[in-house]
Amino acid sequence: MSVVDAALVAGYTVGDFLLLAAAGFTVLAIGMLYRAVKGPTMQDRVLAVNVLGTNTVVILAMLSAALSEPTFLDIALVYALLNFLMAIAISKFTVERGGVL
Amino acid sequence: MTVSGFASPVVAQVTAVEASLLAFVVFTALATALARDVLAAVIVFGAYSLGMAALYTFYRAPDVALTEAAISAGVTTLLLLLTLAKTTRIDHEAAFESVNLPAAGAAGFLFVGLLLTMGDIPAIGSPDAPVWSNPDVSQWYLAESYAQTHVENTVMAVLAAFRGFDTFGEAVVVFAGGIAALIVLHREVFA
Amino acid sequence: MSDAVDDTDMTDTPADPTGDSEADESPDADGDRDDTEPDLPPHRAASRSGRLDSETRQGTPYTESQVIMPTVKVVTPFAFTYGLFITFHGSGSPGGGFQGGAIMAAVVFMIAFAFGIEATRDWLANTVVVALAVGGALAFAGIGLVPVALGGAFLQYDLLPIPILDPVKYGMEGVEIIGIAPIVSGVLMGLFFLLASGFDSEGSGFGNGSIDEDGSIDESEPIEEGGSLGEGAADAGGDR
Repeated sequence: MSVVDAALVAGYTVGDFLLLAAAGFTVLAIGMLYRAVKGPTMQDRVLAVNVLGTNTVVILAMLSAALSEPTFLDIALVYALLNFLMAIAISKFTVERGGVL
Repeated sequence: MTVSGFASPVVAQVTAVEASLLAFVVFTALATALARDVLAAVIVFGAYSLGMAALYTFYRAPDVALTEAAISAGVTTLLLLLTLAKTTRIDHEAAFESVNLPAAGAAGFLFVGLLLTMGDIPAIGSPDAPVWSNPDVSQWYLAESYAQTHVENTVMAVLAAFRGFDTFGEAVVVFAGGIAALIVLHREVFA
Repeated sequence: MSDAVDDTDMTDTPADPTGDSEADESPDADGDRDDTEPDLPPHRAASRSGRLDSETRQGTPYTESQVIMPTVKVVTPFAFTYGLFITFHGSGSPGGGFQGGAIMAAVVFMIAFAFGIEATRDWLANTVVVALAVGGALAFAGIGLVPVALGGAFLQYDLLPIPILDPVKYGMEGVEIIGIAPIVSGVLMGLFFLLASGFDSEGSGFGNGSIDEDGSIDESEPIEEGGSLGEGAADAGGDR
């Protein structure tokens, strides 16, 4: 019996709270999506997609802990490494319309 | 919809993650389809893949989620951006495409038709689902893959051993894709 | 601030009918550069002349970003090692040759975005990319055909002549590591370089498919393709 299965309040385990927190982060991501879609400038969208990527890393890590599957952290690591690539690609694209790529 | 695969006392919280992830994915997909500016569509499509990877992870398909993460965050967005760099930008006033009503109606009919079939699909995680309870395919792979191939990851056992010839075909398809790109772009060398 | 940056960044196209189009690619662009917008950041010192390798370019080119290049220098070894881990550890955890190959190709993309595509093109020769893709396909076919030569079926791993080790497990690992991963990474790198050179769109705004034989290619450019690289791509590649 791991920490994730320990009961906290009224039969709710730590894993349940982690899942609830992951759902909360997803709702925040939907809020962030407004800036990514609407964003008047491209810089807004770059920042929004960067925040979304970080948010996703957190969601994936929480899911990994709540589902008691440590190997799921691999996916979070891949996103943590590659989200940076997406951010620099889009931000360099916005300068001179890809002339500096 | 009941999620019978979970023994948790709070099924509602499990479905809260599902519901929020699905809402995120649907919003991003709609925004990608309707965005007027192509660069905005590419960026929002990156966000869509983030949601899909989390959803695959939640449904315990980590191999698919890892593929989604590596391909979408690392490759697809960059290739689309490189292609966009070769085009010009048309300045739009509106942020979204105007919806073509007949096309939207056709898509709506298809959506409703697919929705009507949902009642016959087994619940997520149901032990009675044919794809899970089939003793000749799924259960046989799960029971025999370690004994026959000596690897722990059943996905890789199926991919490289039981369906090895299919995987060889897929690898050749990837290779042929590179050759086809050479031909389409009138090049003789990659780099 | 953000409006000004967005305006100068995103509407600088030949199709732009607004009033500032007289500075676009015109010969007097360097004449009135200094007095129009003197408070530009260094990477946009040549306000409208556009291309990075133009004679009027002043200041630090944007590609030599002090943020991106050191960060990429730090991140790439870890990302490449992680791609190797995903590839090699596919039998015990999620992952495999396809995912690991894609991550290793993404590391090359990262280097190309930080240090310029032309520099990466010089560093990673065409031979390497082709050898990865072709060698991977040949290795996969070879691992499959060795059991056939020994009287078995295609990819019948237990007939592989691997001493000491388990032939089934290491045959599958061989398929993933020296078969699928090199194919995927090689083809993805090749697609990246192909799309980076691509059909150029300078001036016309749309690639017309013609190979530019008499393009004004800078002689200092290490172009090895005998003029098949268009002038727009040569301009875009001046950012090393």
